[in-house]
Amino acid sequence: MSGSRALPQSKEALLKSYRTRLKDDVKSMLENFEEIVKLAKGDHDTQLSRMTQCEQDTYEMHVRAANIVRAGESLMKLVSDIKQYLILNDFPSVNEAITQNSKLFRTKQAECDQKLMSLRDDMAADLYDLEEEYYSSLNK
Amino acid sequence: MTAPMERIQVLDSIEKDIITCLHSAGQVFVELSKEKSSLKQAENHTQTFLKTLGAVENKLTDQINYLTQVSTGQPHEGSGYASQKVLQMAWHRLEHARSRVNELDRLRVKHVQGRRSVQASNGQQGFSSVPTGSST
Repeated sequence: MSGSRALPQSKEALLKSYRTRLKDDVKSMLENFEEIVKLAKGDHDTQLSRMTQCEQDTYEMHVRAANIVRAGESLMKLVSDIKQYLILNDFPSVNEAITQNSKLFRTKQAECDQKLMSLRDDMAADLYDLEEEYYSSLNK
Repeated sequence: MTAPMERIQVLDSIEKDIITCLHSAGQVFVELSKEKSSLKQAENHTQTFLKTLGAVENKLTDQINYLTQVSTGQPHEGSGYASQKVLQMAWHRLEHARSRVNELDRLRVKHVQGRRSVQASNGQQGFSSVPTGSST
């Protein structure tokens, strides 16, 4: 199998940015989760008063929770971007989808034409009888 | 399942995993915030969170690696337009045949109605031309 193919710089940069985004978002989720759990321990040896420390911890937990949600949303956006990239650039899948659709359309077209042919044959048979009736009657 | 849809289905499952991940993290914090928190529950949810996050990372890395291998940077110029047009023309032929058959059917109905009305008027004329019996 050949080595790395020379992709255009923009595509390479795009794929690299996807990796970076993935790494950053996962790291952010893990770190913020870890910090919230550490805060939940409740460190009593502080120089601040207890109320102030509680307020600070609450605020920090809010911010870190918001960071976890932001990282989750960023991951969802990343998945959406990868889906879009896949639809546009995954040539094997696109080729297969086009082949399947072409095959389906041609099958339907063959069915339509077959039905038309059988209709034509039926009408030709009926026309034969009608012509015979007409040309042998007195009213022609 | 066809190959084109398989990858999209995998990405859909990754999205669900991300939501599961966030949900598990929330469950951990809810459990820890309780007065009598069950450490076992919190640990379970934490394990779920970590496992799901790892799976998300691995699956997305696989997808990005696959895209690195198959993408060429050029736009895809294939299209299914030719076969689509062929099918459309077949539909037009079918519709044309259908409209002609409907027209024939209309003519037949009109003809039958015309014959009935002629027969009915001939019948009435027959009644009126019968001579009335004369009384002696």
